[in-house]
Amino acid sequence: MRGNLRVLGIESTAHTFSASVVGEREGVITNAKDVYLPPEGSGIHPAEAADHHLSVAARVVREALDEAGAQGLDDVDAVAYSMGPGLGPCLRVGAVTARALSLASGKPLVAVNHAVGHIELGCLLTGARAPLVLLISGGHTMVLAHSNGVWRVLGETLDLTLGQLLDQIGRHVGFASPCGRRIEEAAARSSRYLRLPYTVKGNDVSFSGVLTAAKRLVDGGAPPEDVFYSVQETAFAITTEVTERALAFTGARELLVVGGVAANRRLSEMLRKMAERHEASVMVVPPQFSGDCGAQIAWTGLLAYRAGESLAGVAESVVRQSWRLDTVRTPWRA
Amino acid sequence: MELIYRGAEADVFKGGWCDRPAVYKVRKPLTYRLPELDGLIRSQRTSHEAQIIHQSRGAGVPAPWLYYVSPEEALLVMEFVEGERLKTVLMDPAMTGRRARELGAEFGRDIARLHAAGIMHGDLTTSNVIVGGGRLTLIDFGLAIRSQRLEDQAVDLRLIKETVTGAHNGVSKPFMRSLLAGYSEVLGGTRTAAAARKLAEIERRGRYARVE
Repeated sequence: MRGNLRVLGIESTAHTFSASVVGEREGVITNAKDVYLPPEGSGIHPAEAADHHLSVAARVVREALDEAGAQGLDDVDAVAYSMGPGLGPCLRVGAVTARALSLASGKPLVAVNHAVGHIELGCLLTGARAPLVLLISGGHTMVLAHSNGVWRVLGETLDLTLGQLLDQIGRHVGFASPCGRRIEEAAARSSRYLRLPYTVKGNDVSFSGVLTAAKRLVDGGAPPEDVFYSVQETAFAITTEVTERALAFTGARELLVVGGVAANRRLSEMLRKMAERHEASVMVVPPQFSGDCGAQIAWTGLLAYRAGESLAGVAESVVRQSWRLDTVRTPWRA
Repeated sequence: MELIYRGAEADVFKGGWCDRPAVYKVRKPLTYRLPELDGLIRSQRTSHEAQIIHQSRGAGVPAPWLYYVSPEEALLVMEFVEGERLKTVLMDPAMTGRRARELGAEFGRDIARLHAAGIMHGDLTTSNVIVGGGRLTLIDFGLAIRSQRLEDQAVDLRLIKETVTGAHNGVSKPFMRSLLAGYSEVLGGTRTAAAARKLAEIERRGRYARVE
């Protein structure tokens, strides 16, 4: 190993195909991406997203390497890819790309859990050291703390994720996924609260009741901005409440917010108001890195590689559509 | 009055009530929530909690005596239970496997009595159990519900398991095993096995869980 490790990371779990080069000293050097956009009113179609990824893979990887001033793959020490969790067809494109690059260059392969990637990149970019983590995206809604070698789940959704809730209500009025930004913009124009079910079960949350009631409101002719406003106020208050419970329980001093929904300003405002009471600081991943990106895979790949974790060969480079965060070993964390 | 615990949804103070030490539990307005939503949640949870505490005591489960209830002020005044939180007790470096098993069994019996009476605590973390006076006392019924569903019983058990493996990993296995044994002393092996199966099913339903 050299003094300053560099790792190329490839992300392809859902709608984003992205490649990034990170350096041990520099942090994120490049982060190229191309996002599959479904037609208005619909969600991600796994096979079509995979087709998209295949058609852009070579260009995105080249962009990430060229902008880093890398001489092809000679300047990187390892190739990391997101092994899961995610959509099978999409994951396979990333894995195939990584295998090809590894075989052609002789550089080792490193498998990364996508969700751990969100957390580790968040720590790098915000300087969080031992945070309580709120991971909120289309794939996850979890409150986590690191203990005994893994990220332990202190609370999570029992049904839909926050991202799914926002996407599904957005699609119901004709938006295309991901709908978070358009919902936030529309909600900002309303201040009329319509009652929605508020479900907290212990440290866990449930959003299916919110979705059903919100769809009924839309179907009954309620203005979409009022429904979006009420969905945000309800779902974010539920999320903030369980996060507060975990914060009170662990006594953590840092709250790290990562994942696509971390970009929502109303949610971080609520979290900040809540954290004040517990004298904890809220650290939100910068918006350009909140969504899925290669940098989360490259950086976590670098940490794993430095800790001695790489695959023995391409035969091990499988994909895992289901791979729970709390089963991932994290030897780079004490 | 002395602030003894700053919880997620309520502040708990130690004061007096008719010459006895008492706990004042106040659900303070949460500024992150819309005021209309917040007011409703606080008063509903206060009166609901009072009813459930009363019913739990009736079912023979050690819970604090209620002295005063005011949904409008979102205030409950209760008996001050002497002792330490189970969370603190389990984190004691001197904690032995044997003591963890005793505590687990006792906790299991209390939960089973609660479930037999159709009450789901809803927040069975180790912060909400006081160890003292030779017994355990369950506190904070703020999220409790009435239910006869196996699913809800399993959700209750799942939260303990989640908390214990998350925060007390060293003693989690003996503690959980004896908890289920204590549970079955009261509710019987058949109902306990059914609850354990349901618990496993809920875990498999979890996102990205490996289906065994």
